[in-house]
Amino acid sequence: MPERSPGGEDTPGRSSAGGTGPSLRVLLTAGLLAAAVLPLAVFGGILVAARLYTDDRIVVPLLIAAVVVAAFFGLVMAAVAIAGLTAPLRRITTAVERVAAGEPGPPIHLPGDDELARLAESHNRIAAEVQRRNRELGTLLLAIAGYSPALGLRALASQAESDACSIYGLIDCNVQLGDPAEILLEEAVPGDPRPVKAEIRAGGETLGVLTGHLPATRAWERANQDLLDLFASEVGVALRNVELFGQIESQNARLLELDAAKDEFLRGVSHNLQTPLTSIRAYVEQLQAASDEAARDRRLQIVGEQADRLTRLVRQLLTVTRLEAGALRPEVEVIAMGPRVRRAWEGLNAAGTAFELRDESRGWLGVADPDQIDQVLWALLDNAVKYGGRDGKVEVEINVDDTIDRLHVTIVDHGPGVPEADRARLFTRFSRGAALTSGDGTGLGLYVSRQLLLTMGGELWLEPAGEGRGAAFTLSLQGEPPGDDG
Amino acid sequence: MSEHRPRRILLVDDDASLLVVLSEQLRDDGYEVATARDGLEALRRLEAGWPDLILLDLMMPRVDGLALARRIKAEADLPIIVLSAIDTADSKARLLDEVAEDYVSKPYHYPELRARIQRVLRRLGDRIPRRSLVLGPNLTLDLHKRSATVAGAEVRLTPTESRLLQPLAANLGEIVSTETLLSRGWADTEEADPSYVWVSMRRLRQKIEVDPDRPVHLVTVRGVGYRLVASDGDA
Repeated sequence: MPERSPGGEDTPGRSSAGGTGPSLRVLLTAGLLAAAVLPLAVFGGILVAARLYTDDRIVVPLLIAAVVVAAFFGLVMAAVAIAGLTAPLRRITTAVERVAAGEPGPPIHLPGDDELARLAESHNRIAAEVQRRNRELGTLLLAIAGYSPALGLRALASQAESDACSIYGLIDCNVQLGDPAEILLEEAVPGDPRPVKAEIRAGGETLGVLTGHLPATRAWERANQDLLDLFASEVGVALRNVELFGQIESQNARLLELDAAKDEFLRGVSHNLQTPLTSIRAYVEQLQAASDEAARDRRLQIVGEQADRLTRLVRQLLTVTRLEAGALRPEVEVIAMGPRVRRAWEGLNAAGTAFELRDESRGWLGVADPDQIDQVLWALLDNAVKYGGRDGKVEVEINVDDTIDRLHVTIVDHGPGVPEADRARLFTRFSRGAALTSGDGTGLGLYVSRQLLLTMGGELWLEPAGEGRGAAFTLSLQGEPPGDDG
Repeated sequence: MSEHRPRRILLVDDDASLLVVLSEQLRDDGYEVATARDGLEALRRLEAGWPDLILLDLMMPRVDGLALARRIKAEADLPIIVLSAIDTADSKARLLDEVAEDYVSKPYHYPELRARIQRVLRRLGDRIPRRSLVLGPNLTLDLHKRSATVAGAEVRLTPTESRLLQPLAANLGEIVSTETLLSRGWADTEEADPSYVWVSMRRLRQKIEVDPDRPVHLVTVRGVGYRLVASDGDA
């Protein structure tokens, strides 16, 4: 067995080497024939000459000379024939090696119509095809390299369409995004340009389809389809990058915005925390100097009020943190809102502002977390005093809507009202408007109030602007009728 | 319950200036006050003698408030009020349901703190068991955890609801007057009136009765008050 196998492999090798054999054999035969016929002719000539000059002595030298001359010419002709054969073969070999190396040279032109000429023709075709594919691949890579995510989805899709057309020689190239199952593709009609398509994919997900039409004169091979698929998948990756790029861009913008808003907010908050602290310090210093009892009491009261204000501001900030962490769990109780509002008002110490409470609750109780509803009432009443003008009155009305079991508390001031431009973002957190317009609050009061109410099943809204009043906010709570029906 | 002997309060906080001010305020109101700056000092004071109530900061160096409260509760049923910058909205505060009777958040208002202390001390007479109270197949109360199990499902009780149920549970089957419930539930709310009790009882019934329209456990005694009764569930 070991001895047999080399011999077995040898045979096909020899026969394939003989593939170029016939024309080689023909040429060789011609050369050898020439080499054989020429000495015969010379020999014949000498015999004829020997007949004419029958000098026997010179016959033998003449014969020898004739054989030498004939052999010489025969060898020369054989050499010429072999040289004429191997030169084109060498050219073809070199050219094929260049094709194999991926750098096809210029086409080879051989005279005639024999096997060698046909071999040269095949080489030329292959070389041209390789060159065309190389060009295609080059333009394809160049095109793909130019797909910057900053182009945007639309521009990139239309760029890909024109590239597909120019690279593959297609017409009507079209990038359709969406579920490929839902994209209708036309059927091939004989004689018309043939539709071709490739799925646009990115990371295992199909984003859409690239379609085009192949002119009827052109062939479409497996290799073309493979290359189009490759192109389509690169387009898919580029499109996905556009998407991601857009997300990063918008997140960046949002972060910058938030950052700026937080900076502004922090400036506002630290200012607003400093205000009561400053007055506490000032009054304490005065207290130390004050001699008369009444003046001392008054100053102590102010110190207490400012400390309360500080406490509430800090609590509001803490509430924001909790709201963001989702850690706020209200403990709802039943509450008579009338007395609650009055107490919140008294806690505000807004002695310079008139206050009117109309309690139409008819004994209905509101459902809310007592601590949190106090925060809400304080923020809303504080706003009403702040924005209500110098001697504006603050009015509060409590109503019951017994068809939906809701209790409504409306707080009205007589200031200029909320500017149209601020209405939309009034309840948003860190909104520039809120931070800028805040007088001496955190600018978070309305946001915190509304969020607190939402966690308790309540709502807070701004009433439409009305004649004869400023801003009007209504907070709505679940209501409970009085009495026990159990 | 002797009303002659002054009530003793152990005040545990790492803020020295607060210890000074608060113990002065408490002494002015007739309490006997001992102070501790951290958990270890508090434990040493407890070895010397038990107070009637502990006022405890949650965040302290060396044995934090929660660990201290657990150690105390493991030894005796001593009422604890947590005084802390963390308030009830915090998740950590939830853990305190099992160990603390009440919370007061910092910065506190002294009158409110005093009201809570009084309420907790008054409630000492109620003898609330720190264990489950099974009232029937569909209702189990765990008042010390502020929770109830209704038809197999756990229901959270608000602090007020739990305060209302305590006198009812302590006097199981007997009538507790609306006035008593009002004073237990809303000791520190001036504007509270009997409608608070009526409405809260109606809401409580929605929570703990399987059929709130035909209550079997929380029964109204018209014009007088309420009774909490054990029942096998059939109305």
